[in-house]
Amino acid sequence: MEHESEFFLTKLFNDYLSGPANSVLTAIGHPAEDPQHPWGNWLVIELLVVAIIIILFAMLRSRLSADKPGTFQLLFEQIYNFVAGQAHDAVEHGDKYVPFFGTLFIFILFMNLIGIIPGLESPTMTPAVPAALAISVFLYYNWMGFRAQGVGKYLAHFAGPMPWLAPLMVPIELISHLARPLSLTIRLFANMFAGEKVTMTFLSLTFLFAPAIFMGLHVFVAFLQAFIFMLLAMIYVGGAVSHEH
Amino acid sequence: MTRRMIFLAIACFLLASPIFAQTPGGGGGTDFNLPAAYLAMGIASGLCGLGQGKAVASAAEAMARNPGAQAGIRFALILGLVLIESLALYTLVITYVARYVPSH
Repeated sequence: MEHESEFFLTKLFNDYLSGPANSVLTAIGHPAEDPQHPWGNWLVIELLVVAIIIILFAMLRSRLSADKPGTFQLLFEQIYNFVAGQAHDAVEHGDKYVPFFGTLFIFILFMNLIGIIPGLESPTMTPAVPAALAISVFLYYNWMGFRAQGVGKYLAHFAGPMPWLAPLMVPIELISHLARPLSLTIRLFANMFAGEKVTMTFLSLTFLFAPAIFMGLHVFVAFLQAFIFMLLAMIYVGGAVSHEH
Repeated sequence: MTRRMIFLAIACFLLASPIFAQTPGGGGGTDFNLPAAYLAMGIASGLCGLGQGKAVASAAEAMARNPGAQAGIRFALILGLVLIESLALYTLVITYVARYVPSH
């Protein structure tokens, strides 16, 4: 399959770092189909997003001040308050989980939005990236459940409210829990993928106004999908951690 | 009236039965992958539109009745819309999968 044009950073990575990439891929048993180009666009742009976020927050950290907050700090305080407020609504003692949710939100938001820049593509457009995020959310909320309630009590949750309902409840609960990362993945991937495809389709049909409108819709959907991913992660953690009083 | 329409629609579908005729030269079976995927997408989008319409209608009515609770109602509206939308998107993904299933 003919790949899309390579982003210039990907070309750099493929020229100089294809050796380590190939050895890592063969070490885990999945050698690249094209050993000349083991780095994909999505992986390089994902690393670029990580670098941008680190630099952004390093700049923020150096300008923090309690007496005279600048606009930069106020903006990020708003974002923090938003995430922390949602976390307190969804999870009891939400403060412990705000770092994870905040990282999820900012990471997904930046990855969704970087596709708007011409020449770059959203890493969330490949199914691998939302799948990895969904699996990390799955592992996180189960781990938090184990930590908050102990392994035995958390697994006893699956049996439902009455012990004699267990043979019915356990398969249903298992399937619904396994469907969560699947639905998270497909929701994020399909929204981003469809957004780009629709814009490209209208770009091939007409020009200027119709693709711009769909691109605007894509930006709105990017924000919404990042928020929804974070919100669903909060709901799952809330469900896993909640004690019955 | 609706029942008559449904029967009429089924009759029109059955009118297309020549599609099952054997092609000259002993061709293989008809490939229903893509048409079925398009039909599925249409049904999914239509039903998604109905569901989201109901959600928006009741949210708008609730916000009109209780303007003080707008923030909570708006939040529930957005959450509901996204979850209903994702059902139509699952069908879109299946459409892309259907292009690569080998026809037989």
